[in-house]
Amino acid sequence: MNKFRFQRSQLCIPYGMFLVCFVLAPLIVIIYYAFTDGEGQFTLENLMGFFSSPNTIGTLAYSLGVAVATTGICLMLAYPIAYILARSSIRHRSVVLMIFVMPMWINFTLRITALKEILTMIEGNLAYHPFLNTLIGMTYDFLPFMILPIYTTLLKLDGSLLEAAADLGADAVHTFLKVTLPLSVPGIISGIVMVFLPSMTNYVVLDMLYNSTYIMGSLIGAYFSAYDWHNGSMIALILLMIILVFTLFTNRYADEDAGSSRGGVLG
Amino acid sequence: MALGAVVSGAVAVCGIPGQTVCAKEAPVTLRVCSWEEYIDLGEWDGEEAIELDNGAVIFGERPLYEEFEDWYRETYGREVRVEYSCFGTNEDLYNQLNMGDTYDLVCPSEYMIMKLMAEDRLVPYSDRFYDEHDGNNYYINNVSPFIQSTLESNEIGGESWSKYAAGYMWGITGVLYNPALVTEEEASTWEIFGNPKFNRQVTLKDNVRDSYFAALGILKADVLTDDAFVQSADYHERLADVMNDVSPETIRQAQDLLNELMDNVYSLETDSGKADMITGKIVANYQWSGDAVYAMDQADEEDFELRFAVPRESTNLWFDGWVMLESGIDGDADRQHAAEAFVNFLSRTDNAVRNMYYIGYTSSIAGNEQDDTIYEYLNWCYGAEDDGDTMDYPVGYFFSGDNGDEDYIVETSRSQMGRQLYSQYPPQDIMDRTAVMRYFDAEANKAINQMWINVRCFDIHDVPFGVWMALLAGLLVLVWMGYRKSKRR
Repeated sequence: MNKFRFQRSQLCIPYGMFLVCFVLAPLIVIIYYAFTDGEGQFTLENLMGFFSSPNTIGTLAYSLGVAVATTGICLMLAYPIAYILARSSIRHRSVVLMIFVMPMWINFTLRITALKEILTMIEGNLAYHPFLNTLIGMTYDFLPFMILPIYTTLLKLDGSLLEAAADLGADAVHTFLKVTLPLSVPGIISGIVMVFLPSMTNYVVLDMLYNSTYIMGSLIGAYFSAYDWHNGSMIALILLMIILVFTLFTNRYADEDAGSSRGGVLG
Repeated sequence: MALGAVVSGAVAVCGIPGQTVCAKEAPVTLRVCSWEEYIDLGEWDGEEAIELDNGAVIFGERPLYEEFEDWYRETYGREVRVEYSCFGTNEDLYNQLNMGDTYDLVCPSEYMIMKLMAEDRLVPYSDRFYDEHDGNNYYINNVSPFIQSTLESNEIGGESWSKYAAGYMWGITGVLYNPALVTEEEASTWEIFGNPKFNRQVTLKDNVRDSYFAALGILKADVLTDDAFVQSADYHERLADVMNDVSPETIRQAQDLLNELMDNVYSLETDSGKADMITGKIVANYQWSGDAVYAMDQADEEDFELRFAVPRESTNLWFDGWVMLESGIDGDADRQHAAEAFVNFLSRTDNAVRNMYYIGYTSSIAGNEQDDTIYEYLNWCYGAEDDGDTMDYPVGYFFSGDNGDEDYIVETSRSQMGRQLYSQYPPQDIMDRTAVMRYFDAEANKAINQMWINVRCFDIHDVPFGVWMALLAGLLVLVWMGYRKSKRR
């Protein structure tokens, strides 16, 4: 009989299996379909087709536009709230925070349905402002994901740094720009990651708010339901690449910035 | 351990088709896949029982697929177990089949049936199924002559559809409208979707086939409404050809037209249009007749009137039918017998009424001279006492194939024109201008799908000049900042 010896690394096996079955295997299938045509022959046509059609490129631009605008609006709304909340001395801070996070507990289709009625009441006819409505819907949906990480980072901010800055003669504006803001960059970055990427593909919001323009998510769906798995997979792959590049970029930026700001303040 | 191996081994043997020893003891499993909410699930309230004038009392106690198991045992003395599941769209079903899901009996729409037929994936119904002398063959004895002749007259690859498909539900497409704000005249044309009077107050359907049909109706309006065309001897063939035109030139025109329509419609929808009509967000929407009936019923409850109009150019006759799949049946005669019996069971008139009552669509089943349950159900729904405001509404084309048939004239309220009865069993002059939309070959299919994607996508050329400028400015700032940073180091 073999002697069974438990090793800590064996704890990874369940997750490893999950990874292989549901991440790695589908990825290989996607790559296979992306680079083959109907007859199973290798082709780059799907790739070329994506970048040569004004419609697919337009969809990419539109999705990026939605994502950038949503992220920008979320950041502008979330930062002051997170800042006030983190720096305030109110005793029931966690209660106030909960009020912001509470919408997340309600199913999001339900929230968007309610939003639809509210917007109809305000605008009269939703069809005239599809882009604006989409931004409102996305912001509504993703705002908590921006507030939370920024709030957490600001909460951990060492108060003595602010005192030191004041002692050395920095006024409130300077303290914020030179100390608070640079130190909260990691929170901002993780907020951006959590808002930007999903808002590129969250087509349910567009559907429910009557915006008939495709974004990346719906475009993939459209190709799949037209039995064109090859083009659909290629677009999924391109989206994956964008996400990869974006994540690498933000990671690097976050590291670099955290390092330089530490140097600036403490060094 | 040993016991487990024996048990699992026995199951494995039974799983192999053609193991006659097991087949007699183990029940046949029938795997059925159909649309969601497309079969009566029973559990009716006591007072919901439908009492018809011919004495029939119709009541749904349990889901029909469960009652089928009992009926099959009582009728044929054999056991069957139904595994009933649902699909979302024809395309989903097709993708599921390609992914390796096996079903014995499925209920897709006509074009998907054509596609499956063309790909040789269907099992033809047996001769036994079409034997009119067998009292248990409810389908062939009860199917509407109108549906059966449509199935027989349409062919693909030299074989008529009726060999492979049994009609289930059918309907046409049209325009559901709010008569307070839209006239019947305005709603009776596909051009309503481009009518600037209803800017951002009409919705199209969110699928390529329905939208393409509407686009063709507008593009070819001159031909379609031309008297010489309508009165020509081969009108139906020519109409079908026009409404199935997928030449590259027509597709290109349709794309331009649909792009224009997109700037006029409120949105594209599949399901939300019915509620939006009632809440008043929109005043007209592209609608399937069955859903139109449902929406009108809902609106009636809120004292809000909706009506249904059928465009004068042409309308799309669609139907869903039961087909048996080669991959599921796999030569198993017992399984095929059960599948055909399932179709027959659903075609029994009382079950057809139950389904119609539950789903709201029109069944392909009409009954026969001995069994007028379906016709009586129509009277039960729409019949009216003669109070001077009634009219004769002939439905003979559906029930006996002759619209002059005195036996099939519903006496109904005049207000039913443009309402539920009109949508469920449209008058014959409307049925005359129906066209069945065929399945397009791979190339044409790809072209119209691409056309639709192009319509739905944002064109990069539409990016406003200001945005390009802002992007350029942003890029310059970034470069400048990077430059400064590197210099500082």
